[in-house]
Amino acid sequence: MVRYRLLAAGAIVAIVAAACGQGASPAPATQAPASEAPATQAPASEAPATQAPAETPVAGTPKEGGTFVVAIPGDLNRTDPALVDDANSTYVLSQVLETLVTLKPGTGGEIVPALAESWSISPDGLQYTFKIRQGVKFHDGTDLDAAAVKTNFDRWMTIPQAYVDLGYTYYIDTVITPAVKSVEAPDPTTVVVTLNDANSAFLIQMTLTPFAISSPKALVDGDASAPDFANNKYATGGPPAAVGTGPFTFKSWVPGTEVVLVKNPGYWNAAAGGPYLDQVTFKPITDSTATLNAIQAGEVDLVQAISPVDLATVQSDANLQAIDRGGSCNVGLLAMQSSKPPFDNLKIRQAVAAAVNRQALVDAFFGGAGVVPTTWSPPGTAYAKDVAFPAYDPEAAKQLIAESGVTDLSFDFWYPSDVTRAYMPDPKGEFEAILRDLEAVGFKPNPKTAPWRPDYLAAESTGEYPMWLIGWNCDWLGIDNFLYTAWFGYRGDPYGPNPEFSYKNDAANQAMLDALKATDPAGQEAAWGTALDLVTADMPALPIASAKTPGAAAAYVKGLIPSPTLLEIFQGVWLDK
Amino acid sequence: MIKYIVRRLIGAIPVLIGLSIILFAFVHLLPGDPATAILGQHATPERVAKMRAYLGLDLPLWQQYLMYVGGILQGDFGSSVINNQPLLKELMTRFPATIELTLGAMIYAAGVGIPLGRYAARHAQGWSDGAVTVISLVGISIPVFVLGLTLQYIFAVQLDVLPAAGRIDPRANLQIQSNFILIDSLLMGRPDLFIDGISHLILPAIALGSIPLAIIARITRASVLDVSNEDHVRTARAKGLTERRVDGRHIMRNAWLPVVTVLGIQVGGLLAGAVITETVFAWGGVGRFVVEAINNRDYLVVQNTILIFALVFLAVNLIVDILYAFLNPRIRYA
Amino acid sequence: MAAPAIPAGRSARPAEARASRGLWSDAFRRLLRNGPALVGLFLIALFVLTAALAPVIAPYPPLAGSLADRLQPPTAEHWMGTDMQGRDEFSRVIFGAQVSLVAGVVSVVMGVTIGGLIGALAGGIGGKVDAVLMRVVDVMLSIPGILLAIGIVAWLDRGLPQIMFAVAMVNVPIFARILRGSLLSLREADYVTASRSVGASRGRLLARHMLPNSLTPLIVAATLALATAIIDVAGLGFLGLGPPDPRTPEWGTMLTDSTKFLRQAPWLIIFPGVAIVITAIGFNLLGDGLRESLDPRMKR
Repeated sequence: MVRYRLLAAGAIVAIVAAACGQGASPAPATQAPASEAPATQAPASEAPATQAPAETPVAGTPKEGGTFVVAIPGDLNRTDPALVDDANSTYVLSQVLETLVTLKPGTGGEIVPALAESWSISPDGLQYTFKIRQGVKFHDGTDLDAAAVKTNFDRWMTIPQAYVDLGYTYYIDTVITPAVKSVEAPDPTTVVVTLNDANSAFLIQMTLTPFAISSPKALVDGDASAPDFANNKYATGGPPAAVGTGPFTFKSWVPGTEVVLVKNPGYWNAAAGGPYLDQVTFKPITDSTATLNAIQAGEVDLVQAISPVDLATVQSDANLQAIDRGGSCNVGLLAMQSSKPPFDNLKIRQAVAAAVNRQALVDAFFGGAGVVPTTWSPPGTAYAKDVAFPAYDPEAAKQLIAESGVTDLSFDFWYPSDVTRAYMPDPKGEFEAILRDLEAVGFKPNPKTAPWRPDYLAAESTGEYPMWLIGWNCDWLGIDNFLYTAWFGYRGDPYGPNPEFSYKNDAANQAMLDALKATDPAGQEAAWGTALDLVTADMPALPIASAKTPGAAAAYVKGLIPSPTLLEIFQGVWLDK
Repeated sequence: MIKYIVRRLIGAIPVLIGLSIILFAFVHLLPGDPATAILGQHATPERVAKMRAYLGLDLPLWQQYLMYVGGILQGDFGSSVINNQPLLKELMTRFPATIELTLGAMIYAAGVGIPLGRYAARHAQGWSDGAVTVISLVGISIPVFVLGLTLQYIFAVQLDVLPAAGRIDPRANLQIQSNFILIDSLLMGRPDLFIDGISHLILPAIALGSIPLAIIARITRASVLDVSNEDHVRTARAKGLTERRVDGRHIMRNAWLPVVTVLGIQVGGLLAGAVITETVFAWGGVGRFVVEAINNRDYLVVQNTILIFALVFLAVNLIVDILYAFLNPRIRYA
Repeated sequence: MAAPAIPAGRSARPAEARASRGLWSDAFRRLLRNGPALVGLFLIALFVLTAALAPVIAPYPPLAGSLADRLQPPTAEHWMGTDMQGRDEFSRVIFGAQVSLVAGVVSVVMGVTIGGLIGALAGGIGGKVDAVLMRVVDVMLSIPGILLAIGIVAWLDRGLPQIMFAVAMVNVPIFARILRGSLLSLREADYVTASRSVGASRGRLLARHMLPNSLTPLIVAATLALATAIIDVAGLGFLGLGPPDPRTPEWGTMLTDSTKFLRQAPWLIIFPGVAIVITAIGFNLLGDGLRESLDPRMKR
């Protein structure tokens, strides 16, 4: 479910990403098996109390009004949440449209009610019954009810093939199409979703912005399912476009320049405080230095993501505050293609792992925001035990190369030329340092580069590169999201190893599948442990770093709750100036 | 004169046809395939085939070309395959931004460069001439992005006298009409926004204009010196005309020729420099847009945007040539 | 008049060669008396020597270093500090002279050759040839340079030769137009009209009278282009289209990489920046000197 998160379209210096994290306290709730789900459910009467940015972290009485200017690393792509899959678009649209359930603000995986005030799951894990909140109105004045939710589900399930062919429907393709069997609305406040198979990840998937509920009237008026996408107004800026229930309403989008949202005075959850801002303006600024200049000059109030090298500058500026999003929710990889020489040889892959000084890389390029991974997912991931990656030891690496018997040590090594990621803040710099480490033990890498989108991603994902830099920004903090979904599960088409790595180990894949279907925590833990050991023994890649995604805001910005997954709703934000 | 202009306009037709063919060939020569580019990681062979059909890429090249030209002639510029915005709409919002930026840079470059060059020529070999040379050399030697980021840092961050990025204070509620912010603000009767727009324009215009400024100053200097050595100038001086009259009537009148040529050529340079300046200053113009389109193999966007760039350029050069004829009667209508 | 035109044209060649040798040696003598030009020559000599002797001068190899030593300010050990990879900046600036020199000179020479040829044909022959060539130039010129370069790099793949070719092609229409423009204005000049009236052939006119006199603006433009060529290469780097080996010590790329560290390590911008400026000044002073030396009127 995640792949496309990497594709923040067109962003040159797009530090997208999320730092999901709870640090010391992992969130087992994320991994709550289906049978346990009712336990996490909030009773209807309590719902308002358990959600929303109710507790403003800073003292003071919120002031009403003002325009909040937010720098994002790339532009909005489409104005229909169902048809976007990049972090910039979802960051904007999550202010406008809401999902049935959402993540508790500031957490990476704690599910709380939103448009559904409660839910229950049938014992076999196949039926999800959502109780729809009453009295909520869409921005166009129409009422939210079960039929409206069903309309949205039905639209996702029958999305025009042309949109699928355009590649706009990644989340629908991966979450809805294979999993949802039917959706019924037996009464105005009840929606029943029936799945094909039990799936412990379904509920958390419903927190993703692409599954936000749009006004059925706007979907019709905006021709949101027009067979020819060119006639779809709803997704291309409208009007009407992006008509939801959120604290802000969509006003205008000038591509490349700005997206303007205005306050929704009739917001249903005003009891939780806010929205206070009159207007939110998103401005795409791609260059990281230009972004820092803009916030230091007071041109913008919030920078969604800054480069780790600028963290110290932000911290030392009295007019700014650094946004700490808790732990990390990403992993950067030095990836090796197991089907291409010399990386079809295990000893060579292990030699690479021993040759690279990861600690030096993290110290140099992550500005204190990164750590060397001790497993295949960020620190604090539930069920992800530490594994033994080869220690940095150039002599051992030389030894392994000698043992491998491989004599041709030359290969193409790729890095993306025009992008940064939280897990890869300076791809070129890291690439140069890794080159040096590899050459020191006798490898002969041949430097290669390509623009991130589309060339680099298209080539690496189809397994064309022997060695390359890549990584993963999570959708939620779960080992499944990294080990299985992103990298080493059999997710090829036809069924088989992911061509990106060509990592083939039937036992490891089976262990991951067992873990996903296990209904008890002990079973999950054991199965993931087996999978982690098997994958680590094969060293299909080397995890380089897990990093936080630092942001920056003006000192007068109050009430922002930083989110590890970048699901940051500005409902409680106010300007103290 | 009108006859001349008409003839030039007719002469532009083969250029545009040639350009459309070259652009068409060029985008199709680019390695990589737009269908694969759009689909990215989801590119299965069947999907690529469908996408190619959807984009009309499965047709013979000549047919694609005719469809492309037919579309333009009917005023249909197509849409971006990346965000599906109709290209015309997208260009209507982006081009004004680029035009304001390049005009600002041009005014800065010519407004400072020409007087600087004349001044240097008048004091040729003197110290101030040397100073002008060094200043213009430094100006030409700093890459646009380095200058832009440094200007931002000094004037916006450290001194806090000018805005760092964008075209207008985002907190101002300017109803965008034409997206010529300077014009819109005046139409709305908001001189404060006009001043805000100008203050946003200063740094990018300086960053973008510094290289043309240096070139214009150098060419002006060289050209004034050249003409100063001409017989007719010596004659004028010998006749006892005041230095001011010699300068105005005899030197500049002739020295303008190469300066005007360079001005015309620099318009192309400015449009090119705008690509980088717009990135640095979050300008929302057409430069950055077209670079992304090249990366994305967004054929129609690349072809049509560059075609419009070319139209602007040809129009400017037509004006330059008319000025030429006006300034030098001997080559009129040549 | 028409009949002896061919023999005259043939016999004109040796005469022409003699004459131009005279012209150029005169020019060279004048150049040596031109102070600023000598300074320029000195700076260029310094630059070329630096490039040639880089392995001898540089205290460290350009790629050697360790992350532990990164971003050190200038010290006695590292005169220009160290870069983000912990490499000695001074050594990289020295080695950078090699790459930048080659990139600048090759691309400008390529551009002047192709552009000059087109301009000379168009301005010298005139008529239909001029019209056709100028329309071609108009087409090339109407595509903004950096987009042309991006396209060429996208088409031919990355690499220093491709980048040099791309930068050259950006300059071609400019050089062609400048040469053609000055040839055109000379066509009507009194001495050309006079030579024509005494029966000088077109080729002789072009080679003997018009070209030397019209080279002046081309030389000025070419020297300036040397500086911009180095910067154009850097601009391509900024847009992510630089040489594929990021370790290559190239001044423009070094500048680009350093913009991220504007606050932490300003010296990384200053030193390669100063190197580019000094080189640009050198080429420009020399270009100016050449312009003045080549101008026959300076004989007076």
